[in-house]
Amino acid sequence: MKIPLLAACILLCTAQLGAQDAETDSNHAGYVPVLSGGIGYISNVSGGTSTLQPAIDPVLLLPLGRHVLGESRAEFVGIFQRRNGNGDYTGQVFSAVDYAQIDWLANTHVIVVAGKYITPFGLYSERLVPIWIATFQNVPLTYSIGTRTSGAGVGGQLRGVVLQTNKYSVQYAAYYSAHSNAYQWEAARTTGFDASVYFPAHRIEAGISYQRFLDPKQINSEAVYLSWQPPKIPLDTKAEYDHSYYGRGYWIQTTYTLSQVPVANSFFKRMELAGRLEQVFPLNGGGHGVPGIDTQRAGGALNYYLKDNLRIVSSYQRQFSSAKDVNVWNIGFTYRFVWPLWPGGK
Amino acid sequence: MKRRRSRYYGLIPVILVAAGLWFADMRVFARQNSGKQTTSSPSLSAENTEKTGEQVFMENCSRCHRPPMTISPRTTGTIVMHMRVRAKLSRQDERILLQYLAP
Repeated sequence: MKIPLLAACILLCTAQLGAQDAETDSNHAGYVPVLSGGIGYISNVSGGTSTLQPAIDPVLLLPLGRHVLGESRAEFVGIFQRRNGNGDYTGQVFSAVDYAQIDWLANTHVIVVAGKYITPFGLYSERLVPIWIATFQNVPLTYSIGTRTSGAGVGGQLRGVVLQTNKYSVQYAAYYSAHSNAYQWEAARTTGFDASVYFPAHRIEAGISYQRFLDPKQINSEAVYLSWQPPKIPLDTKAEYDHSYYGRGYWIQTTYTLSQVPVANSFFKRMELAGRLEQVFPLNGGGHGVPGIDTQRAGGALNYYLKDNLRIVSSYQRQFSSAKDVNVWNIGFTYRFVWPLWPGGK
Repeated sequence: MKRRRSRYYGLIPVILVAAGLWFADMRVFARQNSGKQTTSSPSLSAENTEKTGEQVFMENCSRCHRPPMTISPRTTGTIVMHMRVRAKLSRQDERILLQYLAP
């Protein structure tokens, strides 16, 4: 009895996919499996300590028809430091599965996600973490609020567009994560949502995130964020305020692409200048990724795109805290790749 | 017998959700085929006129990253599916984007 019921469900879903396929069959897009992702090599100097950080973050995309997608991102990061401060570089490579999920793109309003997924909280975790996207190669001080340290959940998620007009669109994501201790699938019991409204004429997005952490201590985390790319200026401003039991803080980042420089435009249009200001204030002693003392960081970045997928990145930040003020330098390169894993396509 | 029946109760929400999504979407599909409405969902209102592919690209993809200069048509469908999940694109935007990137 159970098997026929499950079969009926699968049949319904298959019929749904078939109907949708017929609807979107007027282009030449191929749907082959893809290996994508980023490669980076960053030299970091923080407070006089030098660290070399090679990283490979492959993303595997396996389409099953046009409305079911299996996707996974792994992360291999090496952390190498000088032995005794001035000897040979030594260290180790860490690996992690950032996410491994199945997506069912049911319709505009509902995308069903199951598996290990990146926690949709604030602007950074889902969108700005990939090394080939990040303007600064270190995450903001408030990053662990709402994502803790793993930044992922194991369970289910619904996401999509609530409504969309030419003037605005409202998007959402809601999730539930179970507790898991399985290797590479570690997650805490959490539930939460993210909702944002986007105004395309002004290219302004405003959003909120909420998370109820249920495991073992029940705490709330909240975030409000804003993203703005004025249509006539190559400027990208993003800002976020986060709050939780362990701390509160904000970051604001502005990136300007020098594509409007009238001289040597082909050179300058590949260059971007960025600034980021961030502050975090611990509550209840901080912890779980939130610094234990008030910490501020301010700095700038200069990135240059040699090609659209290859860039040199550099940044300098000054970090202030009552314990110690330190300089944080980053210089290196990032490369984005997209490789089809199967011949064919239309 | 009661215990046996109760074992199947867990399947009821799954069936309802699947059937609900299927009927909701088939209704829209029927509307599109009859030419009464060009939007891909009842909530995508009539005032929502067709955008250009470049517009959709600049409004969605460029919020997070620079536009790639080249995308192989072989991988376009897969990449756009991935971005539909990540950027929560509507199906209408997905369709316009596919037409723009792999006409």
